[in-house]
Amino acid sequence: MEPPNLYPVKLYVYDLSKGLARRLSPIMLGKQLEGIWHTSIVVHKDEFYFGSSGISSCPPGGTLLGPPDSVVDVGSTEVTEELFQEYLSSLGESLFRREAYDVFENNCNTFTNEVAQFLTGRKIPSYITDLPSEILSTPFGQALRPFLVSVQIQPPGGSPVGRPNGQS
Amino acid sequence: MARAREEAGDSRLVSGREPSSCIIRVSVKTPQDCQEFMLAENSSVHHFKKQISKRLHCDTNRLVLIFTGKILRDQDILSQRGILDGTTVHLVVRTRLKGTLPGPGTLSGRTGHCTHLSEPSTSESAGMLARLGRLARSSPDLADFLGQLAQLLVAAPESVVQLLESPAVQGLANEKPADASHAPESSRLVQKPESALKALETLQNPARQQELLQADKRELEALKAVPGGDNAVRPVCSDIQQLLLFTPAPLGASKGHNPGSELCKEEASPHVNTDPTAIPTALAPARPLVQKVRAGEVTQARCVASNQANPGYGTGMPDVNSGQDLLSQESQQPAGRVTVASQLRPSPSALRRASHVLQQNPTRLHQLATGSPLRHRMPLLPILSNPRALQALIQIEKGLQILSKEVPGLGPCLWGPGRPHGIREPPETRGGGQGQRADSVQPTLAVLQLLHALANACSQPTQSSSSSSLLTEGCYQQDLEHLKVMGFANCNANLQALVATGGDIHAAIERLLGVPEARAPPADAHSAPPHGEGGRGRGGEGK
Repeated sequence: MEPPNLYPVKLYVYDLSKGLARRLSPIMLGKQLEGIWHTSIVVHKDEFYFGSSGISSCPPGGTLLGPPDSVVDVGSTEVTEELFQEYLSSLGESLFRREAYDVFENNCNTFTNEVAQFLTGRKIPSYITDLPSEILSTPFGQALRPFLVSVQIQPPGGSPVGRPNGQS
Repeated sequence: MARAREEAGDSRLVSGREPSSCIIRVSVKTPQDCQEFMLAENSSVHHFKKQISKRLHCDTNRLVLIFTGKILRDQDILSQRGILDGTTVHLVVRTRLKGTLPGPGTLSGRTGHCTHLSEPSTSESAGMLARLGRLARSSPDLADFLGQLAQLLVAAPESVVQLLESPAVQGLANEKPADASHAPESSRLVQKPESALKALETLQNPARQQELLQADKRELEALKAVPGGDNAVRPVCSDIQQLLLFTPAPLGASKGHNPGSELCKEEASPHVNTDPTAIPTALAPARPLVQKVRAGEVTQARCVASNQANPGYGTGMPDVNSGQDLLSQESQQPAGRVTVASQLRPSPSALRRASHVLQQNPTRLHQLATGSPLRHRMPLLPILSNPRALQALIQIEKGLQILSKEVPGLGPCLWGPGRPHGIREPPETRGGGQGQRADSVQPTLAVLQLLHALANACSQPTQSSSSSSLLTEGCYQQDLEHLKVMGFANCNANLQALVATGGDIHAAIERLLGVPEARAPPADAHSAPPHGEGGRGRGGEGK
């Protein structure tokens, strides 16, 4: 049996605040945040991310966010593209439906964490997944929470990923 | 069972992989749920799959088990693969058996690249995008067309979207990719864009604020990467449309009887009844809002837009509503204009403008307070051309509004130190003003004061040469450089002029010329426009 192909898996990390969080967080939150992180998984030469309109994909760096602020190597996977598409479709109907988007509890980073574990068994760096709790543990974050829960992040430039017969 | 688990735990502690058949608990995680299975450590994957198929009632052929990125083969032994007690294995249940070649496979297999178009390897539900991409690959003419389409999408997106929606293109998109049919289709498609291009070019002329279009074209190159930009542009453009309706309305609402804004409103109103996905030609003012995808900038757009015209989105932004109330009260406009403001709630741009105006013209602040309409027309473009400042303003405003509402006493504490030079009013007046006026105008003013105080506090550790607030330094950096090049050597005066005119470099130059220390000859004023526009343009897309 020939060795299966190994596909590299990368995590693209974007700072949605473009440096503002690093500058303003000490004043506004009382603690230092390095950024407001949006992440996506890049595998099989495509970038996959979860936003308020569901799971989307685009060419790597192809959203309006531009190129990522940093790239983390997650590992390698044997999961083929076809299998991965099935998996994503399945995710898009269950845990990551578009309605299931929640900026704190079920956001883009939740998605990439899930996918990274599926693909490689590894999680994404904790400073990314800890971000919501970091913010919510500050009085400012708590005060803003009612307003922030309605925030929907959806970087434009991607197209939806879903089952062939219908929307995800 | 517990004993078995203990044994498994002990064995793990001792050696990690004993040949004895310990029962281990393995979690099987599917996209839907997670289930636990108890089985022997040295059982085969095949056996494992049988157990899974029994519980999930599906064929073992459809099961694909993945552990740490590796696909588990039937003949593997669990322990050899490192699957121990308590580990999690991922499961995908195929919808198709392995033998068949599903649609996504074909699509992804043909992921090619043509000009600046590349097809995302999504499933068939990608629809028109994928098919257009395939058509483009099969015909270079089509590739050019789609490239031009993308460019024109920037220039006059409305017609392009209409083109995309036209029955001919839809028919093309829905047809199965058959090589034989590509040639006639592509020729049809090419003919169509030629006429469409002409139509689009004519539409381009009446488009307002083209300078911004030039500047922002680069920002939308990502859209070019997606053929037609259908999926990407539609929601964005519908949001932009809504924003566009909002920006002229509050422009008039808060600034007084402004015939210009009336015009804007009238121009915008015809778009109200158009297809929600049609993008108004006056895309430019809202374009910077699009390009601020970084944070919740797009989310802001979506929230505001969604809040208004499309209840289906269902996301409310209560602070925008309160902002609307603030603005309408602030301006104390006649009922008609207030109605307009309430119907088309002000976007964050209105809040931004208000903040800038109030920052630069504290006397006008009083005017607003006393009810006289504000004549000063805030140039919208420079404000909109600085997405970071705008976003920072909005985010801070939101937070500070809550703060000021919740803790009104907090405001005076922050107003004292570090007052930006742009606000020349003494804090007492502000505090007095806040105390007097019990209406909700106060939070906005307090908000803005806090905002500037905060901004100042931030900017002090990072003093730039312009020595202005955080919000203005990035905004006016380009303009400041240009003024310097033109001969206005006094940076502080330049900055003050820019701040006073809201980033309008022409007005700033005039202002500077009126000041004794300005040394620039009148000739420079004439050469200012290209510089100014270039500066704004570059500033707009500067990251």
